[in-house]
Amino acid sequence: MQNNSIKKKSIGLIISLVVIIVPWIIIFAINDKITADNLPDGTRNVNFEKDTLSKQADHSKFEVLKQQFTSPEQVTEACLTCHNERQHEIMQTAHWNWDREVTRTDGTKTKIGKRNIVNNYCIATNTNTWKCSSCHIGFGYKDKTFDFKNPSKVDCIVCHDNTNSYEKQPLGSGYPVTKKEVFEGKTLFPPDLNYIAQSVAKPTRNNCGKCHFFGGGGDNVKHGDLSSDLFKPNKQMDVHMDTEGNNMACVACHEADRHKIMGKAYSVSSANEGRMECEKCHSEAPHNNSTLNNHTAKVACQTCHIPVYAKGVATKMRWDWSTAGKLDADGKKINEHDKEGHHTYSSEKGSFEWKTNVEPEYVWFNGTAEHYVYGDVIKDPSKILQMNIFFGDYNDPKAKIVPVKIHRGKQFFDPVNKILIVPHIYGHDSTAYKTGLDWNLSAQVGMKEAGLPYSGKYEPIETEMYWRINHMVAESDKALTCKECHSRNGRLKNLAGFYMPGRDRSILFDIIGVLMISFSVMGVAVHALIRYIKRDCIACE
Amino acid sequence: MKKRTYIYRRFERFWHWTQAFLIMFLTITGFEIHASYELFGYEQAVRLHDIAAWSLLILIVFTIFWHFSVGEWKQYLPSTKLVKDQVKYYITGIFQGAPHPTKKTAYNKFNPLQRLTYFGFKAIIIPAQIITGLIYMFPSVYSQIGGVGVVAVIHTLGAFVLIAFLIAHLYLLTTNEEPAASVAAMITGWEEVSTDPAEEHQKHMQTAVEKSIAGYYRLDKLGKFVDVNDAWLKMYKCHDRENIIGKHMSLTREPKHQQELSNIFKRCMQGETVIGIPVVRKCKDDTIGKHILSMNPVFEGTEIIGVEGFIIDITAIDNLQNQMYHTVRNSNAGYYKLNNKGYYIDVNDAWLEMYKCDNRDNIIGKHYSLSSNQEDLKRFDEIFASVIQNGTTITSEVARRQCKDGTLGKHILSANPFYEGTQIMGMEGFILDITQLDEEDLKK
Repeated sequence: MQNNSIKKKSIGLIISLVVIIVPWIIIFAINDKITADNLPDGTRNVNFEKDTLSKQADHSKFEVLKQQFTSPEQVTEACLTCHNERQHEIMQTAHWNWDREVTRTDGTKTKIGKRNIVNNYCIATNTNTWKCSSCHIGFGYKDKTFDFKNPSKVDCIVCHDNTNSYEKQPLGSGYPVTKKEVFEGKTLFPPDLNYIAQSVAKPTRNNCGKCHFFGGGGDNVKHGDLSSDLFKPNKQMDVHMDTEGNNMACVACHEADRHKIMGKAYSVSSANEGRMECEKCHSEAPHNNSTLNNHTAKVACQTCHIPVYAKGVATKMRWDWSTAGKLDADGKKINEHDKEGHHTYSSEKGSFEWKTNVEPEYVWFNGTAEHYVYGDVIKDPSKILQMNIFFGDYNDPKAKIVPVKIHRGKQFFDPVNKILIVPHIYGHDSTAYKTGLDWNLSAQVGMKEAGLPYSGKYEPIETEMYWRINHMVAESDKALTCKECHSRNGRLKNLAGFYMPGRDRSILFDIIGVLMISFSVMGVAVHALIRYIKRDCIACE
Repeated sequence: MKKRTYIYRRFERFWHWTQAFLIMFLTITGFEIHASYELFGYEQAVRLHDIAAWSLLILIVFTIFWHFSVGEWKQYLPSTKLVKDQVKYYITGIFQGAPHPTKKTAYNKFNPLQRLTYFGFKAIIIPAQIITGLIYMFPSVYSQIGGVGVVAVIHTLGAFVLIAFLIAHLYLLTTNEEPAASVAAMITGWEEVSTDPAEEHQKHMQTAVEKSIAGYYRLDKLGKFVDVNDAWLKMYKCHDRENIIGKHMSLTREPKHQQELSNIFKRCMQGETVIGIPVVRKCKDDTIGKHILSMNPVFEGTEIIGVEGFIIDITAIDNLQNQMYHTVRNSNAGYYKLNNKGYYIDVNDAWLEMYKCDNRDNIIGKHYSLSSNQEDLKRFDEIFASVIQNGTTITSEVARRQCKDGTLGKHILSANPFYEGTQIMGMEGFILDITQLDEEDLKK
């Protein structure tokens, strides 16, 4: 009976141990198998289908496109003979109008856009529009006299040319060259309008890229995540546009309805509408890991999946207009470059800083933004002026943490009227700063054109401009790891207003906790010591 | 007095060690999530913390169920009793070699400070950790309350408390008389623990009453049944206790015996104890049975609120009936309990009196052979073996005893096995003295 009972007990003990240990062994064994990283490319929930329709029409067969075009406007007119309603759509878009109606934070309804927003790159269109408008989808937008009602001024082929041979002249206010011309070392040829018109189709990366990759007048100057690298990117550069993989065009995501294209750049947009969301294809729970999926309520996909931007061409991080105007000993304009060849100083423009592989900064953003518009009064000139303000915070259910490029700069404001100066920069007369290097003159002309008061005084002010980072999405195994945010000095260390494990702690309660443990240890030590000392006395008793 | 006792049951031990492991593991991974150090890597730490948390939650659900189903939850009810003494012991007494102010028994495993601490542990710390931990798992919940900040701080503080608890818990183990034995007890379940004689005795009596073949009854002051045990019911051939409780005692007698019973009842209600009276009962099916009756008053304060007593069936030994009528004026039901090796675990005062013994400690732990002479021992060995091995119950065996002073006595013996689980752990029963029977018989 005794033997039996021991046997029974040891069997019981073994079973208990097995029950305790086996689940743990199993969990440790399968733990690696159930991590999201082992998913094939994280494409579990991609809800995207490539457009495989063949061309809807062969434009080379249309008689109207066989005529000999002498001006680009004739091409537009030819397009409109068939597409005779599309001009109305185009003429309602911001691509055409360079503004749109918004309700500002003070409640006023107004139109804002490139026409009246100030930035901290080339500052403002205003008198400089004739130069800026080489990226306008029209012909001849030189100044405010431009007729926005004239359909023949719409440039259809800048977007629909699939030959990649159509190019506007950089100083041509939207027109291509009419004869062979060399501009800044690049030879421009007059376009073969017939050939182009007969091969129109959906916009390709080239159509979008030739403006959007060169915002600010140069490759990747403005956005940081949009550069010429995206014409033919590899997977490392962008998982969506990878020429050997998904090879998606811009318009694959940026779908259009009646020429109204999805997606917002909050350098000029304000309202939470018509936005592009990764979730549209990838869903809000794309990971095989509920902890990661829990993040999507407060963290935008881009935050983790775009660990760095400007992966190829450098982007401009700072533009200080206040240093402009210096001349060398011979009284000649200065141009300086760093060893990578980045333009670091120009007498006409001031100093620049460039960066590649930039870690984004992070802000809360609910899809709405406010902008500095001509004439807005600067409340506190001693503070950094935000050219655009992203709204949202932790408690805003629509807000998520998004990565941004913050372009910092210095430019001039009128300290009397407390408004930013919109200077006359580009021109061949001496009032243009580029030519005359005189801020006062340039301010007078610019402010007059903009209809703003100017006291005659100008002082520099620090500025910041926020750019959302949406492109150059990394491969899934390159996404941020937990630790990069969940640590004391992680990427989100400056993002206030919420508690994040690993980053935050209550110093007070941590101290209380450590003290509690210390007292426990000390109490035990002292108690044990006294017992040790007194042990002989006890033995005697 | 020490006794090797099965103190921690199998589930309890499984729960204790699994919980210990899980809590330590949660602490280790938790403080990594708190960025106190790097060990598994943040992602793994979170994953493992989650897995361990769910495991602990499941364990706790089972444990709560277990505590209530086996009644162990009562062990954790805090009481203010002896808290001061316990504190005093840890602060001063322990250094002077004072004895522990409280004794660990199977029915009272924890000292008052342990009760208080474990209660706090179970009622405050663990629930706080579970609630905050669960909120932590669901951002949609905590985003409603402005973020996880407060939740996280409480959760972290709880972890600090648990560490402090663990340190003290491990240290206080060394204040036990045999720390290693205490650890072993948490593994095997068995530990040498003090037995509280009064409590043990009460418990034995209680189980003896419930399980024994001696019938037990209790009447209120009107003579109505308040309680009877199974053996009583069996003797009265009654299956349902409900048919008896609340009924008047007259139910159990033929009309001609009614007066006798009510006389005894009256005497007891005046404070007298009546012992060893052979009586005739009327069973449920109107058949007749005979038993020896004892009856004593039940006090509440100084007031007599009823009577209780035992009956031992003697229907089978009818030949003794007449003799018995004259017997046992000064007898009483003696109770004894032997372990499965034949050593006395417990006896009552009446037993001691019958054996002319004034100190219980002289009996407890002794073998039953002490209380028999050589010729009777053989018969008793047979009885014992039969009870222990076959689980038989013996009733109305006339037996002789050898008293402490060497004289012999005679009694009627009942014996039945008692169990732990399905295992027979020993034998117990009652004896009723019939020594005087012979003398009075002789006189006649």
